Amino acid sequence: MGIFVERNKLTTLEDAARMVKDGDIVAIGGGLCLREPIAMLRELIRQGRRNLHIVGTAHGFDVDLACGGGIVGTVEETHVSFEQDFGLAPNYRRACESGAVKIKESCCNTIINQLRAAEFGMPFVPMRSIKGSDEIRFHPEYKEFTDPFTGKKVILVPALEPDVAIIHVNKADIHGNVKIEPPYVADVLFMRASKKVIVTAEEILPEEEMKKIGPTIPYYEITAVVHAPFGAHPTSCYPYYAYDRAHIAEYMRAALAGPEAFKRNYLDKYVFGVKSHAEYIERIGGEEKMRLLASWKESREKWMELFTYE
Amino acid sequence: MNDGFEVGIDELFVVNVARTIKDRSTVFHGVSSPIPMVAMYFAKLTHAKDMVYFGGVSSAVDPNPPFLPYTTNDWVMIQGRTAMVTVDKIFDLAQRGELDRSFFSGAQIDKYGNQNVSLIGTPEKCKIKFPGGAGGCNLSADCVNYTIWTTRHRVQRKKDRVIYALVEKCDFITNIGHVTPYGNRRDLDLVGNGPDWVVTELGVFDFDPETKIMRLRYLYPDTTVETILENTEFRPVIHPEVRIMDMPTREEVELIRQIDPLKVRQLEFQPEELKRKFYI
Repeated sequence: MGIFVERNKLTTLEDAARMVKDGDIVAIGGGLCLREPIAMLRELIRQGRRNLHIVGTAHGFDVDLACGGGIVGTVEETHVSFEQDFGLAPNYRRACESGAVKIKESCCNTIINQLRAAEFGMPFVPMRSIKGSDEIRFHPEYKEFTDPFTGKKVILVPALEPDVAIIHVNKADIHGNVKIEPPYVADVLFMRASKKVIVTAEEILPEEEMKKIGPTIPYYEITAVVHAPFGAHPTSCYPYYAYDRAHIAEYMRAALAGPEAFKRNYLDKYVFGVKSHAEYIERIGGEEKMRLLASWKESREKWMELFTYE
Repeated sequence: MNDGFEVGIDELFVVNVARTIKDRSTVFHGVSSPIPMVAMYFAKLTHAKDMVYFGGVSSAVDPNPPFLPYTTNDWVMIQGRTAMVTVDKIFDLAQRGELDRSFFSGAQIDKYGNQNVSLIGTPEKCKIKFPGGAGGCNLSADCVNYTIWTTRHRVQRKKDRVIYALVEKCDFITNIGHVTPYGNRRDLDLVGNGPDWVVTELGVFDFDPETKIMRLRYLYPDTTVETILENTEFRPVIHPEVRIMDMPTREEVELIRQIDPLKVRQLEFQPEELKRKFYI
């Protein structure tokens, strides 16, 4: 990790995205249908970033969009799908099966322990729970080693220090203090392990307000702060909004129809066809859509409806 | 006509998975696991009131969700919780040998209970990519025991070939069963004891203590030993006392319907399978 003491870290989505370089190891926050930094990924696709090495635990829309948007060279994830709601991730699968992305599939605790090694400032961590699995075949960098204390075999996995973590959070101040509502997924680990940390935030609070609620992560761990309301859409960022099943259904129709259809019917409409995040919000339905996605809090029935509308 | 109370295969299946959970145990389900999610919630409300329930990726302790969602990482799954932990704490628990049970599935499951959730082909040249095992590789090694479930035991017949989910040998081992090409669990010094139950839409298996090969224990009222053999690529051990699985009670089925109004328990089944009904 780095130490960042600048008083004002507030920047634009465009400028923050320029901190991510071609070929970087990029940790993506959130997971599955929750709090993924999609506004930042759309911007990276618009800027034509290439050959990113994506790392994360269990993800869905983010990795699939990044693969479909052509910015990914390697995927080091443990699981990529839309779970049983929309099923397998079409762009991710195509990219793996065509060889367009290199597969470095891993397992959650392996990645977590590798991040913790980076957090502890240690070069590697010993593990047992990879032995017996072919996952070892994705990782020539792992080394078998005899534990000098017990004489038993362990696997040494290297520390994982991403070049940059991109994380969507609930609240931030301009100094970089950050408030995340649980579940944290691997976000806190990513922040501690990465060289740079870019957060996009639903709300920017005055520093005095942040002090009152208490940050989850203190300012010195954060490199840059971007104000991006609805920045996780179409994944959820509670309590603001639930995930947008209608939008994901539209995405899936485009992605399942093949790469050209995906570009024409999705990327051209929602990524290349908008100049800014604000324009994107208008295109997906603006305030009316956001009111709908916030209706989860009105009642159990309203919340259930958001799991069934398309 | 049968005038008994109607039970769907999905409901019976949930109860069978829930029966593998003991009271006072620590239990976790991972991603893409709608049936274990329903089964854990059901077990917590019935026979396993003192289980420690880790609600999936969201890592809520003993949640009391208002309904069960289509995805495992939604805020629904942290409602009514006692506490939040971070996901690394659950893996630490497993690594110490203190996570009693989890649940894994696979596109391929072999006779020793290994599962392939990764790919067909090789890491360098992948023919078919599956979603990946999430925490499965590590947890299948570390959990004290785990339940394997699949709703795709029945073979798929394509033009020129038959596709088995229960295979002689996995093309790739993501999650670890009892015996692997790298050795058995004792050779590998793994913390956990491996899978002890396999619940499918055709029957319920444990593992033969000697050979560590899957052993048929229970059938459904509409399946037979022949059904199992026709749909399984390897030859399972047949327990001498194979019998029909006990039906749940009417109260149990009504509880499932109440906690799972969106019927997420049905998401994994083929529409044909959901036509199977049993009467109590």
